[in-house]
Amino acid sequence: MRISAAQRAAIERVSLTVLVVLSAAMIILAKADQVLIQSVRSAVMDGAAPALDAISRPAAALVASANRVLSVMTVYRENLRLAEENERLLGWQQVALRLSTENAELRELTKLAPEPPVSFVTARVIADSGGAYARSVMVDAGSENGVARGQAAMTGEGLAGRVSEVGTRAARVLLITDLNSRVPVVVDGTHQRAILAGDNSARPSLRYRDADGTVRIGDRIITSGEGGVFPPGLPVGVVASVDGEAPRVEPYAALSRLDYLRLVDYGLAEALPTPLSISGRGGKRADYGSDGQRPPRR
Amino acid sequence: MTNVLPIVTTVAAALLSIEPLYIGGYAALSPAFALMAAYHWTIYRPDLLPPLSLFAIGMIQDLLSGALPGISAIMLLLARAIVLANRHDFVDRRFSFVWAGFAALTGGAMLFSWALHSLLAGHVLELREPVFRGLLTISVFPIASFLLGRGQRALIGAE
Repeated sequence: MRISAAQRAAIERVSLTVLVVLSAAMIILAKADQVLIQSVRSAVMDGAAPALDAISRPAAALVASANRVLSVMTVYRENLRLAEENERLLGWQQVALRLSTENAELRELTKLAPEPPVSFVTARVIADSGGAYARSVMVDAGSENGVARGQAAMTGEGLAGRVSEVGTRAARVLLITDLNSRVPVVVDGTHQRAILAGDNSARPSLRYRDADGTVRIGDRIITSGEGGVFPPGLPVGVVASVDGEAPRVEPYAALSRLDYLRLVDYGLAEALPTPLSISGRGGKRADYGSDGQRPPRR
Repeated sequence: MTNVLPIVTTVAAALLSIEPLYIGGYAALSPAFALMAAYHWTIYRPDLLPPLSLFAIGMIQDLLSGALPGISAIMLLLARAIVLANRHDFVDRRFSFVWAGFAALTGGAMLFSWALHSLLAGHVLELREPVFRGLLTISVFPIASFLLGRGQRALIGAE
């Protein structure tokens, strides 16, 4: 049976309207029931991970070979720089060795409990958020590799974010620059605590500082370990500006071009609040105050 | 069999936009490729990219990119509704005219998603990134349009 043009137009109108309403309902549902949406997201992530992994490889290879060509041109200058840096680092190595021995002796003296062993998984970034309103990446490791919610994601330079959703073979890392990221930090060498709050810009800001403390450009920012989501002392970044409403921090990690991330398990993941659920499946009300870390709102 | 070309290219476009390029700052500005494909096919073969497929593609893109699921779906569906109502003005017109139409659509789409995100975030978000993302999307469109047009002529032809 042929459908007339008028009928077709009517079907089009109805299906468009129904689907637009359905999309709007999905947005509201996603805001309300995070448990449901996270399990759907994990399933889709797992399904798409092999495809995303495959199509991200050519781009990675292309960028890598471009970098190789560029590095050939600067190899002489780079060599000089590295030789100089090596000399400086050898000096630091001596200092580190001396301090490490001294630290071991002092621990022995004070009978300090040994730190728990730390395990990590290295994962490749296979997708990023693609848009101006979220800062997160997807990596190609999941629960089958030992990845769990709340683990810290590090680059060689510093903290990049934390694992916010986990599938079987893929996981999402919420970057410290995301609008929803809140990390308890401390200014290194002082006892000044603050919350590092992302706002989707390249430099997250230091909020809720002690009223009497001052922060200067160049101050090192490290995690405070408060709330137990991250261990204390992870390098985060340096204060880059102090004018405006709140000081801004330049992260050590090059967050805008991540390729590999180390997901580190410090055994602290259970400190994260369970996301809100309207259907009551295992979700208890998240406690915003206790750890300074809001549950992901998306 | 070649009738799935519009759906396949739009899915590919959606995946392309979340593809990491390992270039500083690219993630926030990556062009809205799916919008280009949706625009092209809605003008030339709307029958082969029905609303349900746009809904599914938008949802998958949002679930994979970490965005609030439904936002891309709504954007693609509204784009279809607007383009479909005016599609007879665009078929068989000069490319510059089609491009101008896409520029207007992109502007509207960026503004719409900015307003929606601002509403959901509870405060006014910065406009700079959506503006750049829109400009990048508009400037990449000729390449996408050329490739999609080539594929269309080779495999399916006009309605």
